Amino acid sequence: MGDSSNQDLISDLPQSIIESILTRLPLRDAVRTSLLSSKWRYRWATLTHLVFDEDCVTLSNDRALFEDKLINFITRALFLHQGPIHKFQLCTSYLQSCPEIDQWILFLSRKDIKELVIELGESEWIRAPSCLFKCKKLIRLELFRCELDPPPTFKGFLCLKNLNLYQVFVASDAIESLISSCPLLESLSLSYSDSLTLNIYAPNLKYLCLEGEFKDICLQNTPLLIVMSVAMYMTEDIAEHMQQSSSCNFIKLLGSVPYLERLIGRIYFTKYLSIGDDRGRYPVTYSHLKIIELYQVSFEDMKEILVVLHLITNSPNLVELQISGSSNTLTAMEATDLDFWDKECPSPCLFDRLKVVKMTEMSGVPHEMEFIKFLLESSPVLEVMSIMPCPSVMDGRLNMLIELVRFRRASARAEIVFIQC
Amino acid sequence: MSEVDMAVIKPEMMKSYIWLQTVDGSIQQVEQEVAMFCPMICHEIIQKGMGSSKNYAISLPPRVNPSMLSLILDYCRFHQVPGHSNKERKSFDEKFIRMDTKRLCELTSAADSLQLKPLVDLTSRALARIIEGKTPEEIREIFHLPDDLTEEEKLEPLKNSTDDPRIRLLNRLYARKRKELKQREKLKNVETEEDRADERSVEDLLSYINGGHRDSKGDKTSKGKKKNRRRKDQQKNASVEEFIETHEKDSDGLNFECHGAEVDKLQPNPGGTSKLPGAEDDTFPHKVEFDDGDIDDEIDPALKEKIDREVEDFARRLNSDWPERMQEILSLGQERRPVNGNGSSRKYARPDSEWK
Repeated sequence: MGDSSNQDLISDLPQSIIESILTRLPLRDAVRTSLLSSKWRYRWATLTHLVFDEDCVTLSNDRALFEDKLINFITRALFLHQGPIHKFQLCTSYLQSCPEIDQWILFLSRKDIKELVIELGESEWIRAPSCLFKCKKLIRLELFRCELDPPPTFKGFLCLKNLNLYQVFVASDAIESLISSCPLLESLSLSYSDSLTLNIYAPNLKYLCLEGEFKDICLQNTPLLIVMSVAMYMTEDIAEHMQQSSSCNFIKLLGSVPYLERLIGRIYFTKYLSIGDDRGRYPVTYSHLKIIELYQVSFEDMKEILVVLHLITNSPNLVELQISGSSNTLTAMEATDLDFWDKECPSPCLFDRLKVVKMTEMSGVPHEMEFIKFLLESSPVLEVMSIMPCPSVMDGRLNMLIELVRFRRASARAEIVFIQC
Repeated sequence: MSEVDMAVIKPEMMKSYIWLQTVDGSIQQVEQEVAMFCPMICHEIIQKGMGSSKNYAISLPPRVNPSMLSLILDYCRFHQVPGHSNKERKSFDEKFIRMDTKRLCELTSAADSLQLKPLVDLTSRALARIIEGKTPEEIREIFHLPDDLTEEEKLEPLKNSTDDPRIRLLNRLYARKRKELKQREKLKNVETEEDRADERSVEDLLSYINGGHRDSKGDKTSKGKKKNRRRKDQQKNASVEEFIETHEKDSDGLNFECHGAEVDKLQPNPGGTSKLPGAEDDTFPHKVEFDDGDIDDEIDPALKEKIDREVEDFARRLNSDWPERMQEILSLGQERRPVNGNGSSRKYARPDSEWK
């Protein structure tokens, strides 16, 4: 302090700070610091977080040349690296699957890798090498477009907390045993791994995100689940399977998640839940469930309506509800079982905490309107009910409004917002 | 001391104060809640009970000078108030770190020694932003870093260096030069080994003097010695000087082509990154007898300096007149030209011939 004005300002900062600075630089700039001075020559080589993308090498019009350059860059960076590598991320659409990946993963498996993220171009899928399963210290694994085939000797990733597989080709039993052999798993995301039948056994699981064509999902043991987001796509196969299924899907999926705080269901989720034998009472009260978002709920199908009602009536602390409809206006207009709402609808029912309701894609079909009426009557602290009609419904809007205006409101403060679009 | 006044006037608002001492000896009073925002100070207060009076002032680490301390306390004073929104905090931070680079570095250092992680993160981010996207020269300028790398070391690592013919040539030249010097060094070492108190060679000497049994090593050494002495006088520094000489002469183009041409003829291009120190061509080790051992260790640092300077010079020239040289080389092809003096070019071309 106060020496010659040409004193080196930065090289003598502690290694942890230098590392913190270098980690915040794009990898290419970090590597370039080796050109600064002799003290900086190998400073970058001990970085524990390596994030590669197409910015690491200069762009080039020649695709093949660019790929080569990038592969070279990564290989050399790994080769020059010293010490453990905790995070390796490679996300670029410019690189397709290449044989070097196997070697990189082998290298990383010897370097105590903890976080591994690989997302490459779309035209070729990686085949995950068996050395991937030797990365004993993995805490987070994200793979895109790959083929996963755990060897029979694989005993699981004992430290894995976060698993994200996107468009991964894997057999049902392989993925099931993978999940169940990761005892610390907290967050699981499976997208577009098609035709899976899943039994999820994950005692520490807190966040679950499933999207794709699932034949069957059963949350066998996920007592700590907090957030669940499921999007179920339908194919003929699955439809058939559903028809033949006799077990109650609602119980299978939502039967043992008492701590659930947020539920998001898309596409055929409510349909899926509606299938199965629903005789008998549902034992579970979702006392922590605060937010429910259900999309593509078909108000033509009484069963789906029942599922929704069941969910919300068993969630005493519900604060926010969002429902997006998908009714076929023509058929739904001729609803015959409207008397349900007067006779059988669970009442008296009070949603003591419900403050916000958003109804979107509303077609104005009778059941939708009855449902809205029901909510308005039963929500004493409601603050906002926003209704957005389906863009294709133009004529019915006025009727919708006329009906809406008549509904009784339990909450004096409730605002009904009709959103024009 | 207005705080003291305030404390007198409004006793219900009395804050407690902590005494802090910076490395230059000056002591100041700081509101406790502000100072406690720094984990290190917090630790001192709670675990060691320091800071309650002037005599027991908490000694701050040496990297925290008074001006840095006041900056840090400003930061703490703002952030320890729970009422600010995230947006407010962000905009405060943005304004806060607007300072010259020197102070930023000092601040990072001081914050780190006080274990104030949020401020360390903030300053690290700012420093990273400064470094990002700049050329090495610019960065060296900003942070006053010494420019102490050799030209070779400055070639960008991880680049596909086989693309750039300059690098290839430089590599080869460097490698040859190092080999030369290593050989010379070996000769020198062999001699100096005898001068040093190396037991084995003294024994050898004795046994030789006494006409006793010599082991093969002794033999080699003595023979080598004779040869080397001669060679040493002629070659060692001479060729180094020649090399420099020939550079300085303005027949740069000639020299360059010559060496380049020679190099091309004799050595297939191994290619590869310049970053590996002591990268050698494959052809040579077979022709010359080498002891094992690390190449780098055996080259005298002073000599190494010399090599580095030469190569730097060379590279500088390369960098400046590259297009013209390229032209010349291409047009003149592999023509070999005699260089003034002791046929140094021939020496570089075929060092093995000198051994025999």
